[in-house]
This record gives sequence, structure tokens and C-alpha cells, in this order.
Amino acid sequence: MAALIEKPRFTCPLGGALATVGALPKAVAILHASQGCGGNSIGALMQAAGHTGSGYCGGASIPTSAIGEQQIVFGGEERLKEQLDSTREVVDADLLVVITGCTAELIGDDLEAVLRGYRAVDDGRPPLVHASGAGFKGNSYFGYDSVLKALFRDYVQPAAVKKKGRVNLWGLPPALDVFWEGNLIELRRVLEGIGLTVNTFFTKKDTLPELRKAAEAELNIVVSPVNGVSAAEVFKELHGVDHLIADLPIGAKATASFLREVGKKLALDPTGVESFIKTEQAGYYHFFNRLSDSYADLDFQRYLAIVADTTYAVALSRFATHELGWLTKLVAVTDPTDPEDRPAIVERFQGGLDDPEGTVAFETDTSQVSSRLFERWPKPDGSRYYRPFSPAFVIGSRLDKDFADSIGAGHLSVSYPISNRVVLNRGYAGYTGALHLVEDIFSVLVAKR
Amino acid sequence: MSYLHLKVPPTRDVRLKPCNAYGGSLCDLVDGQKTGCLSANGRAFAQATGCQLTLSMGMAASIPNTVVIYHGPVGCGAGSLALSGQSKESQLARGNDDAVGRVWMSTCLSEVDIVSGGEKKLEAAILEAERRFRPHAIFIGNTCVPAIIGDDIDNVATRLQDRVNARIIPLHCEGFKTRFVATAYDIVYHGILRYLLGSEPERKPIVADDLEEIAYRKRAARTVNLLNVGSMGYVDEVELVRLLNAIGLEANVYPCFTSPEKFVKVKDAALSVSICATHDDYFVKHLQEHYGVPYVLNTIPIGTDNVRLWLLDVADFFGLREEALKVIAAEEEELSRALAPFKKFFEGKTAFVSTGEIRAGAQACMLERDLGMRVVGIRAHHYDEFGEIVFENFKGREDVAINVAANQPFEQVNLINRLKPDVFLGHGNSNVWAAKQGIPTLPIYGPVNSYLGYKGIFEVATRLERILANPNWYRTLGETVDLPYKDTWYDSDPYTYIRQSQDAA
Repeated sequence: MAALIEKPRFTCPLGGALATVGALPKAVAILHASQGCGGNSIGALMQAAGHTGSGYCGGASIPTSAIGEQQIVFGGEERLKEQLDSTREVVDADLLVVITGCTAELIGDDLEAVLRGYRAVDDGRPPLVHASGAGFKGNSYFGYDSVLKALFRDYVQPAAVKKKGRVNLWGLPPALDVFWEGNLIELRRVLEGIGLTVNTFFTKKDTLPELRKAAEAELNIVVSPVNGVSAAEVFKELHGVDHLIADLPIGAKATASFLREVGKKLALDPTGVESFIKTEQAGYYHFFNRLSDSYADLDFQRYLAIVADTTYAVALSRFATHELGWLTKLVAVTDPTDPEDRPAIVERFQGGLDDPEGTVAFETDTSQVSSRLFERWPKPDGSRYYRPFSPAFVIGSRLDKDFADSIGAGHLSVSYPISNRVVLNRGYAGYTGALHLVEDIFSVLVAKR
Repeated sequence: MSYLHLKVPPTRDVRLKPCNAYGGSLCDLVDGQKTGCLSANGRAFAQATGCQLTLSMGMAASIPNTVVIYHGPVGCGAGSLALSGQSKESQLARGNDDAVGRVWMSTCLSEVDIVSGGEKKLEAAILEAERRFRPHAIFIGNTCVPAIIGDDIDNVATRLQDRVNARIIPLHCEGFKTRFVATAYDIVYHGILRYLLGSEPERKPIVADDLEEIAYRKRAARTVNLLNVGSMGYVDEVELVRLLNAIGLEANVYPCFTSPEKFVKVKDAALSVSICATHDDYFVKHLQEHYGVPYVLNTIPIGTDNVRLWLLDVADFFGLREEALKVIAAEEEELSRALAPFKKFFEGKTAFVSTGEIRAGAQACMLERDLGMRVVGIRAHHYDEFGEIVFENFKGREDVAINVAANQPFEQVNLINRLKPDVFLGHGNSNVWAAKQGIPTLPIYGPVNSYLGYKGIFEVATRLERILANPNWYRTLGETVDLPYKDTWYDSDPYTYIRQSQDAA
């Protein structure tokens, strides 16, 4: 991991795991961590994720063992057992997930022994799984994978027989993808549209019993080149289900290729797939083209700088190039990436950018994004015929507002953190989502009219 | 009581022996606090709270021209992500046109660093902070992990101080070290006292101007330090400065939102004026001991009783009691005329208050004495020796539930379910749990609204009236949301899980 990160756009595995558990229906996280780990995560998960709120048992309600000096010295197992017992008495949960933080993992508590003790009693108590959330192991994307792996390992039941047409879809970490739920709802809708039965784990339509049966699927679809991929590997190893790694589809063109890719992988009848695409496409352009008069009269084409994590950066650059007809000159990828993985990530931008190598920068630090842009675009030199980076737009996070202001560009918060917007069921994926994105982007351009 | 020779100040657990797990009568709380026997109380069921790191660094980050470095794994400090815009607004409100919002970095300690130590990374971060931002001060917040693996942040700070222009201020605010988040105030003040005041060179003009010097001294003799650790919005600062001006005093506000190079003047003031002992007792006592600046610390100016007490404390120090009484009489009369139309509306309405001890006591008192409401419950984050004076009014009141808890919504929902108040006034992250029970809520402090002084009384009254005028949003929420507790919990004693100190684990 990097030596330092300025204003990291994610939190620790514990935070990512908390958001993930909080998004499962009636699942409750129990932190085995220092007392403040929950409180510190609250702001990051709630207000900074489009004001997503505390949910069922999040925010200040998260049960916590609150490891203090005493546990650091003498161990925290007894305290965790006590907290597990009291949580069962007070809290109404269908699934409990113990998330261990830095202190718990450093002092070397024997978690497995505690879990075995809990599971040995059969009195109708909620099932219990454990996900590692130690901050020094990675970031919140890691925490998302960590919970998925724990669920696939200890909660999902093995299924020898796979059901035709049944798929699981993941790859969008709750909170870190501020639009995760809206995105999942739309992706479920389009996949159902081509005749599949879809399990997305985290929406209102999903249930824990369905999650438990996830191994009956014939395919796992991961809509991110990075997030959830290692969990898919675990799933494959444990349950023998293959996976398809796709980009997050935004807009008619990307969604059509996504559906064709899925259809091909599952050997679906192409007529059904094409017929659904045709209907959706017609509906999509019916609305999309309403923008035409203003786009043509007011010159709504823009130079674009994208500041986002890998998943969104790839998806947005395709959308901007192919649907908006914009010119993306900088893509700052803000999630930490291993240098050896970077060529493969840059490769994902093929087809979305004219010159991926020259456009993509791996930059975790907010104040440095501006420098990355002016390595790619001439700096102001005072000459009369200097060509400014204008008209321009920045699709980034709340943190990138100052950068956008500094270059006189429009700005929309799409990537995490988003503290300046309220997000409920809004998504940007698929057909419906892309129309929302168009509304939001161009509303910025007309805001002063 | 000076602790400035220490790298790490004592925690509140040791220094003040507060209590943060209690439910029962006020009388037993006050007595129990005096014997210190409540301090070790704990909970067998506990919920997420803050830690001293988050509060320390939040306070440090509100000081302009600084960079805060979280020395730890990447998540420590992530709460800042929700506030980057707000900090900028707070500075803009105070006329700082160059406001940039908070700037923070993380040293991102990894598994490798657990083995080999994180000091090299901290060094790199300090140098990079200096290179990128040229700040006046760099705060280092030490977290749980480097404290356990034994990184020496003081040594790093000393080693690097000669290589950077910024003042490096190491803060030992590891979360696991204290159960009392308020230790954070001591930690930050300790850093300011030890590294900003203790070593800041006096910037004297090359040619001394005697007249100017005399004028400055004369003015300083009538100038007070008004302390704001971030809980006071700008409107509250303006109101308190107005009242101090009215009795002939000037005020400078420290430490939040004030650039560190101005801190040196703290030593010259005639008096330090606190609005909350929970915040400031460590700082004002050290200022007195080291620089001879006396202090007042009794109460928070919320509600006419406490505004009067607060202002008279200050006035008495300067021998200005007569002037102050005149100001108070005029202000109270004007306010009482303004409040008159509200009196009928609030009559018989019940309220529940939940926040830090000083504010909780004073706000509860204000609701009863100024508005004529009836307080049915008070929750304080912790309780210590400074609480007695603000809770004075509630002594012997068996009808008021007293609960000491840092948030712990499970106890709160149980109490609210029994007491069913008309309105809940609470701290951030606690309001929502009352709201989910259908109770209208008023945030009990905030960066943009007015709470203190006479203006605060009127503003809170108008806001309460507005909130109660249409509680439909809250009612609907109460009807449509599920709380995470079993039905049996609401029938149980709300204090079931409080462990008395003798059986503390």
C-alpha cells in the first residue's frame, strides 16, 4: 500500500464490511474492535454516502465489544462472548456477522473458538459468520469482499444441482458505490428481462433465504473488474459456479453489450435477448433525445475529467465517449491499485478512451488531481492563444468540487464520497440509470438559467 | 496540576474519574461520582461510540492552515469524509476567505508496517504535508495500531522539526486508551500548550513603539479568551461576544477556526472564559498555572439562569457586576416580551434531553424555566465533578429519568418508549433513534444554529415551536420503520446491562 494517502476516498475493511452487512436484510454486525471504530465509520458510511442513513442496526446502534486497555492486555474473547450473548438477548437479527478490527486481530484472540462455542448451541439463535475488518489488511473494498467470502463460506449452502437461468450478481460495494441499490435494482430488472432469475443479495427484493440458496446459480456476474472478484474465486472453489467479470454498464450501448455477453455465456436464445434490447433501446432514446434541442443550440459537448474508482472510471468513460459524445482528457483512478495490476486496468479502458495510456492516471490524492490534468493538457502560459481546458466538466466526488471550481468546470458528485447530494433509489446503471445520469449532468449545465 | 512535562497527558479515566454507565436518581449519581465508585461501571451490551482520535482530530482540523496526519491504518479518520465541505463553510463564516476545508492524510499502515514499524511512513507524510501545503502546524494523531506496535511519534516529531517550517504537534489520542471521548479535548489542548504556546517565538517589532505597547497592554487587560472547541457555531460566538462587549470587554475566540499563529496572544488575555468545563478545564488550569491567566469555568450560557451566572462570573472578575446586572435586566426584559407569545404553546409539553453533561443540564433547565416545558429525562455522555452545578435544578426530582451513557441508543429507545416525550433534543447520531420512534427532534447543537446567550433562548424556542407545529415527518417515520430491538427489550429495565463497578469484568 502507498506510503501515504491524502483524503483517502474509502475507509478501512471494517467500514466496508459494516456497510455491506448493513445492506443485507435484517443482518446485524457486531464489531469486535476498539470502541470508536463504529463511531468513526458512521460519518463515512452515512453522510458521505449520499446520506444513506443508519439503516436497521447501523450508526450508533452497532453492537460493539469496545476493546480497551484491559482487553489489549488480557485478551478480548470473554468480552466478545458476553457481547454475543447480550446482543442475542436485545437485538432482533436474522444473521449476525462479527467484524474484527485492528486491535482484536493484533492481540490474537482465538475467534474460531468463540465462533465454535456459539455455533455449538442449537437454540434457534441466528447464524453467525466472521469477517476480517482489520484496517492494516487493506481498505473498504477489501471489507466488502471479506464479508462476501464469509457468507459464501459459512452461510451459503452447498448445492450439487444448479438451476438453469439462475444467476447471482455483485461487484458494487454498498456505500462505496453510493448508487449501489439503484444500480442493483436496474441490473436485476434488465437480467430478468432476458429471462433470468437474479439474486443480488442487497436490494429490498432480496432475502436471506435466497442468499442461502445462492449456490444453485449457474453463473455469477461481477460487474466490476476489481470489486468482488476474489469473492467470486472463493465461490467457484467452494460451490463450483463459474463467473463472468463485466464492466458496470451505463447507457443503451453498454447495457446491450452486457446483456449479449451474459446471453452468450449462458447460451440463451439470442432472439429473446435482442428483442428485449430493442424494446429497451427504443424507450431509452425516446427520453434521451429530449435533450437534443438544448444540446444542439447550447453546445453541450464538454471536455471531461473523471475522478473515480476503477469500476466507475471505466463505466463513465465509455458512457461519456459513446453516449454523450464528450472528450475525456483525464481519468484519475482513485482506489489503490497494485502497480502490477495497472496495465490490465488500463486495458479495460480500450474502447472507452482513444488513448487509455495517455489519459488514465492512478492518483489517490485529491490535491494532486489538478497536476495530473496539466500533465495531459498544456498549462496556462499567459499567451493570447492559449487554449484553455474549456468548456469542461468534472465527474468526481464531493472532494473534487474545489478542483472543478479552480478550472471553471461544471461538477457532479458520482463517485464516493458524496456528502453534497441525497441518494435514495437513484442508480446510474443500465437504461433507467443512464437517463438519471443525463438528467443530473445536464441539470448542472442549466442550473443558472 | 501541570502535566505539560509529560508527552502524554493522563486520560480522563485517571484524572477526573467520570462515569459513563449509570441509570437512576440524580442524588445517587452525584454522591456516587464524589466517591469515584461509579467510574468503573461498564456495559455487558455496548454499542458503537466515538473515540478520542476522531474528536481530537476533528478539533485540530478545524484550525486553519494546518494539516492533520492520521498515523494508522487507512480507516482512522474516515469520518472526515462527511465534513470536508462543512469545515470550509465554518471558516468562510468567520471571514477567512482563503478557506480550503480540512486537509488530512493517512499513513495507511499495512501488515508489513505492523512488523517493521510505521515511523518511516510518518516521516514521509510529514515532509509531504510540508511540501504540498506549507501549513503553520501539522498535527499527528496516533492511533491504536502504532501505539500497540510501539512507534515513537514524539521522536519522529523531534527529529523532523528542524527540517520543516510547520510546527509539528504529536497527539496521543489512541482510541483504546480511554473510555471517555472527552479526553480528546485535553489531548489537543496539551498539544497546543506544549508545542504552540510553549515554544512559539515572540514576534516583537524591530523598533519598539512604547505607545503601542501601552495601548496593547491596556487593551489586553480588558480582553478575554473565549474558548470554542467546535461545538459553538459562529452565530453563538457573535452572541457571546456581543454580551461581553456590552459590559465593556473584548474577546478573542480560540482554538477552533483561529489560525495557530494567533495563539500566542492567548497568554496576554486578562481572563479565560469557558462555556463548558467538559471542554476546557485542562486548558484553563494550565493557562493559569503557566501564564497567570485566571479563568471562569462554572457553566454554559444556555437559558436565562445560566446566562446570568456565566456573565456575572466574568463581570465579577473585572469588578463590573453593576454594569452586568443592568445589561442582564434589560436583556431579560426584552427576551421575556419576545417569549411571551410562546408560553401557552409550550405549557405542559414534555421534553427529553441527551448530550454532554454540561449542555444537557443547562438545556434541560432552560426548557423548564424559560419555556415552561416539563423535562422527563436527561441523558449525559458522562458525568464528573463539573456536572453538579448545572444539574442543581433537578435535585430531588424523582420524575426525571437520569441516564449516563455515551449514546447507547438501546437504553435511549427503552426510556423514550416509557416516557413518550413530545420532543427530543439530542446530540448527533442519537436524534435519529428517537425520530424512528416517532418523536420530533431538535439537534441540541450545530454549526449553523443559535443556542447560546439570550438570542439562543429565543431561537431554540422558535425552532421548537416550528418543529412541533408539524410533526408529520416524524410520525410517519415512527409508523414505517422497524427498530432493531426485540419486543421483550422494551419491557426490561433500561439499565439491565449496566455492570456495577464491583462486578466489572
